[in-house]
Amino acid sequence: MRSLADVVGASGLSGYAIVALILFFLAFVAVAINLLLPSRSALYERAGRMPLDDLNPQTPREP
Amino acid sequence: MNARLDTFSYDDDIVRKFLFATIIFGLVGFLVGLIVALQLANPAFNFGPILTFGRLRPLHTNAVIFAFAGNAWFCGAYYSTQRLLKTRMWSDGLSKFHFWGWQAIIVAAAITLPLGYTQAKEYAELEWPIDIAIAVVWVAFAINYFMTLSKRRERHIYVAIWFFIASIITVAVLHIFNNLSIPVGPLKSYSIYAGVQDAFMQWWYGHNAVAFFLTTPFLGLMYYFMPKAAERPVFSYKLSILHFWSLVFLYIWAGPHHLHYTALPDWASTLGMVFSVMLIAPSWGGMINGLLTLRGAWHKVVEEPVLKFFVLAVTAYGMSTFEGPMLSIKSVNALAHYTDWIIAHVHTGALGWNGFLTFGMIYWLAPRLFQTQLYSKKLAETHFWVSTFGILLYVASIYSAGITQGLMWRAFDETGRLQFPDFIETTMRLMPMYWVRVAGGTLFIIGALIFAYNILMTWRRRPAAYEVQVVTAAPLSAQPAPHHAPASGGAFARFIGMGWHRKWEAAPLLFTVMVVVAVLVASLFEIIPTFLIKSNVPTIANVKPYTPLELAGRDLYIREGCFNCHSQMIRPFRYETERYGDYSKPGESVYDHPFLWGSRRIGPDLAREGGKYPALWHVRHMEDPRSLSPKSIMPAYPSLLTNPIDFGGIQKRVDAMAMLGVPYGEAVNKAEQMARDQAQAVATDVQKNGGPAGLQDKEITALVAYLQRLGTDIKKPAGVAVAPVPAKAGGN
Repeated sequence: MRSLADVVGASGLSGYAIVALILFFLAFVAVAINLLLPSRSALYERAGRMPLDDLNPQTPREP
Repeated sequence: MNARLDTFSYDDDIVRKFLFATIIFGLVGFLVGLIVALQLANPAFNFGPILTFGRLRPLHTNAVIFAFAGNAWFCGAYYSTQRLLKTRMWSDGLSKFHFWGWQAIIVAAAITLPLGYTQAKEYAELEWPIDIAIAVVWVAFAINYFMTLSKRRERHIYVAIWFFIASIITVAVLHIFNNLSIPVGPLKSYSIYAGVQDAFMQWWYGHNAVAFFLTTPFLGLMYYFMPKAAERPVFSYKLSILHFWSLVFLYIWAGPHHLHYTALPDWASTLGMVFSVMLIAPSWGGMINGLLTLRGAWHKVVEEPVLKFFVLAVTAYGMSTFEGPMLSIKSVNALAHYTDWIIAHVHTGALGWNGFLTFGMIYWLAPRLFQTQLYSKKLAETHFWVSTFGILLYVASIYSAGITQGLMWRAFDETGRLQFPDFIETTMRLMPMYWVRVAGGTLFIIGALIFAYNILMTWRRRPAAYEVQVVTAAPLSAQPAPHHAPASGGAFARFIGMGWHRKWEAAPLLFTVMVVVAVLVASLFEIIPTFLIKSNVPTIANVKPYTPLELAGRDLYIREGCFNCHSQMIRPFRYETERYGDYSKPGESVYDHPFLWGSRRIGPDLAREGGKYPALWHVRHMEDPRSLSPKSIMPAYPSLLTNPIDFGGIQKRVDAMAMLGVPYGEAVNKAEQMARDQAQAVATDVQKNGGPAGLQDKEITALVAYLQRLGTDIKKPAGVAVAPVPAKAGGN
């Protein structure tokens, strides 16, 4: 009977590290694009000010 | 729009508790650091059997990482999280359980490590009952934290909290997987992994403990407290998000750079190097983001000690994260590995980044938590300059020591022989630098004492009763408002316009899942092939398990922390093979639960120690190293010649090894008798050569048996035969 090591050893898994790397890179690019949209600027500028007020939620409030 | 308004207050009592614990355990950790620095400069500072370098060094690292930095993280996290989410912690009881549980764990570590109870894994030395306690306390912390997130009154979760979430999750994963072991006693266990796999697992853990205990949580603190102190928002919030995701994507792959040129498969080592080099981009992005937060406020740095501490901390972060990728490059690592260079690198980060960020944070917090003025700004300034000078002395001397060491180890003379064949020559050359380090460390501690005094005096000025500030805020609606994707403009426009990242930012569970996926995918793609592809660890027919007595000796080697100074991993370089013998093969450590390759050479490598000297030499050397090597800085272990061997416990240890897949054969049934027979033979040999009589039941005999075995299997005449064997549960 073939062991798990036999199965995994024969599956050429090391190549999947490259697949994972490409997926990670694409996810990162997607985050970056999403983030850098000009329409997001106001939202993130407001978010960046959050530490400056301990008592009041940011305004306008996100529902 | 919700018209209801909630009134609540923040739990600052828990913040104050963690603040005091940070200061107390910081001083303890620094003091133990000074003692181990003195022990390296002069072995007379070893007070055996408990207060020797091998036992105190892990106490120093654990105290600084988990007690000082850990408490500092929790202190800042409890303060900032409540305010960023506009809510009190979900459960005051769980907060207190987290605090007292964590302090109990620290005390347990402070007791067990000097007593020699250790798993022999760097930064994961604590034995299995304490590991379980850590897991329980961590789960309580996580439950409290995530429940607090669920009842927040801010929709957006600020980026500092992302760093805390990633740290909580990843530390849990690292802790559980690296500490899987089989207990063989109340405070003794064997790692389920062996050799190459154990080394891989340990440095996956070790590197990411630095990443997710000393880096990401402190970045969270930086992103909250730096804007607070500068009274302006972070330079670029978008950059902080990129910083976060790129660190999470990259960090987890980088661990194998700790194992370059060892028996680790080359592909894993290269993968670790590539990801480590890439890390420089997000790290410097973060550093620049931190420093530029002070744009237009640099005049405040001159006046405000808090900002001085922050500026130096962020600068130290930048220096460490430039140096880290550089050290991960194989050719640089070949020079730096096992030397004091790594110690200097670590201390730039620990003293500069973690230390100064913590000091700055506490100077900022103390007047607010104690509702009074800081006792003395001038003392804070003095602390800054004294400790800064201390760090400079420390790192400058130890960088010099490390590079000197590395160059001397690899130097050949004009005849092609090692220029410094006697290891002690290279050690002696470092002595002046070791004393400068002591001076630097002393200055750092003087600064820390000034800090503690300043905070104590601030606390003494507190009001009779703290004023509790009442906060009013509306709760969030049960569901966030749906985000409307653009109806036209093509698939790409719809994709980028969907605002899916905004949804993550407002959904802690989804966000946490994404972090877990990133961490697990990266981990599994490195770990699974190392564990399951047989060709990564070719076995060697000659390599057999340790005899029961050698196993007992190995456990003594672990108890005394010998691996803190001696590696057992000869790299495939001529200057290493000339000095120590044939380079180490992956198949040589398949029965090593745990692996003992080490990460530093304060003394020479021991991978081929077996048979180099007679047994009597080892007895004399352990009893008094300076009787054989007058300039040796090794502690003396005379108690090994009087302590009895625990013959009764040997069978259980052999059985545990057999359970892990080590083929023990007949020893499974008669380990104790085999151990007694071998001990008699070793003791007879020692006595025959003029050594003391009656050592057949003393610990020294077991330790000598182990040392005499090291590296001898591969020298046996049958030769080396590559013979893959089925992998066992333990990963052999």
